[in-house]
This record gives sequence, structure tokens and C-alpha cells, in this order.
Amino acid sequence: MKPIRSMLLAAALAWLLAAQQFKFNLEHLEAKSSDTVDISLNSSTLQFAAKFLDSKDPDEAEVKKLINGLEGIYVKTFSFKSEAAYSIADIEGVRKQLRAPEWSRIVRFKSAEDGESAEVYVRNADKRISGVAIIAAGPKQLTVVNIAGSVDLDSLSDLSGHFGLPKLDTVQPGKPKKPE
Amino acid sequence: MDWLEEELRQALERKDPPPDFAARVAHATRVDSAAGSGRVVRVWPRWLPVAAAVLLMAGGAAYREHRGRVAKERVMVAMRITADQLNHIQARVREAKP
Repeated sequence: MKPIRSMLLAAALAWLLAAQQFKFNLEHLEAKSSDTVDISLNSSTLQFAAKFLDSKDPDEAEVKKLINGLEGIYVKTFSFKSEAAYSIADIEGVRKQLRAPEWSRIVRFKSAEDGESAEVYVRNADKRISGVAIIAAGPKQLTVVNIAGSVDLDSLSDLSGHFGLPKLDTVQPGKPKKPE
Repeated sequence: MDWLEEELRQALERKDPPPDFAARVAHATRVDSAAGSGRVVRVWPRWLPVAAAVLLMAGGAAYREHRGRVAKERVMVAMRITADQLNHIQARVREAKP
């Protein structure tokens, strides 16, 4: 009975992670963090949620437009009470999966002053963007995002004009910015 | 006609039952039947299945609505975090521009 149960569990997990384009492998940080946000939304959940998004609300209308065609959204955020709760190896474990030619980094910044760093990657398939990855690390916070599926970068950058955030310039793919 | 014939005629004479006879027989039958089978016989109202079906449908719709709202909230939180991170990254990149 046990092998059957294990196989069923593995199949369910594989189905859940099918759309996720890289593994986060950050579960071990949950015990160290003071706050954790873990969101895994597959295609069917996104389409179901889309029916409840109000097209009259500007934020919800923008999100509704964006999630159309997405295969999944996976977000993991850890907040820590003290610094150095996670290691460079934790970030490297994610970063090493985001390699060319499948993935290309479009933005990277690193601040020696406040210890913050962030990277944005896009996944290319058939000359179109089929995924976005964000790794944002601060002294007391670590966030990893994977948006799987056909992503419209203009719509994604338009999000900065929503949720009460100021409107900023559009991130252009294929033009890496190196502010370091 | 002798006295015996008269007695028989009176004894076998047709008499109408009292007005509550049918109700008493029906009651006695139910009590006997319930006592005999060991279970209580209940007569359900005819509208009960309809009411149960309506309640089930309403409950199903409410549960679907609840699941939809939870899914929507999760999508909005995920997008808010993504937007916040992108906004922060773009702001830092703009700051660093010469």
C-alpha cells in the first residue's frame, strides 16, 4: 500500500510542479524565517480566479489581462529577523538553473551599500517570452518569483502603475542594464 | 318466532361504527407495525427533498464562490509581490543611471 501511496503523492507533486520552470529548493529557510509567503498557482487555478476578477477595478483588470495565457505563478518570500539567515549558496541553487540558452538575464543590480541585489531573467521559446524569474535578496529578505507561460513584459511592467506603486519605465527584453 | 330467534336477530343486527373508528384503526395499525419492526415510522413532508436539493445547490454555489475569492486573493497577493519587486528593481536601476 505504501509504494502506491508514495507513487500517487509523487504524481500529484509532479502535476503541481509541472508548470513551474525551475525549483526553488528553499524549504529549509522556512524554519529560520519570521514570515513566509508561499504561493503556487497553476493554470487551472489562475483561470478559475480570473472569473472572479472585476474588470471595473483597475488593478484587477490589469491582473486579469496579464494572467490570460499564463501557466502558473510561483512566489516565495522569506522575511528574517536577523541578517545572514540565508547563504549565497541558497541563491546560487536557484541561479544555476537559470542558464542560457533557455534563460537570459535582462536586469541585475547589486548594492554594496545596503547589501541588496536583484536579478530579472526571461525564458525564451520560439522567439517569444515564455517565463520570467525574479530573484530579489536583501539583508533580511529573500524573494523568488517564477511567472510561467506567455508573459507580456509591457503588461508586467504596467503593474508598477498599479497597487499604489508609482509608474516607472518599461523593462525592455534583450537590453541588459548593468548599473553596477 | 320464539325467544331464541329474537335473541339471534338482535345480536346479528347491522350497526354503523362510531365516527372515530377508522382513525383509531389506522393509529392502532401504525403503533403495532412500529412495535413489531423495532423502528419508528415517520411520514416525511413532500417538500423536504426539494428543500434539501435547493440547500445543496445553494451550498455548492457558496462554496465555489468562496474558493474563487480565495484564488483571486492569492493571485492578487502574488501579483502585488511581483509588482513591488519589479518596481523596486526599476527604481534602483534608474537611481544608478549616470
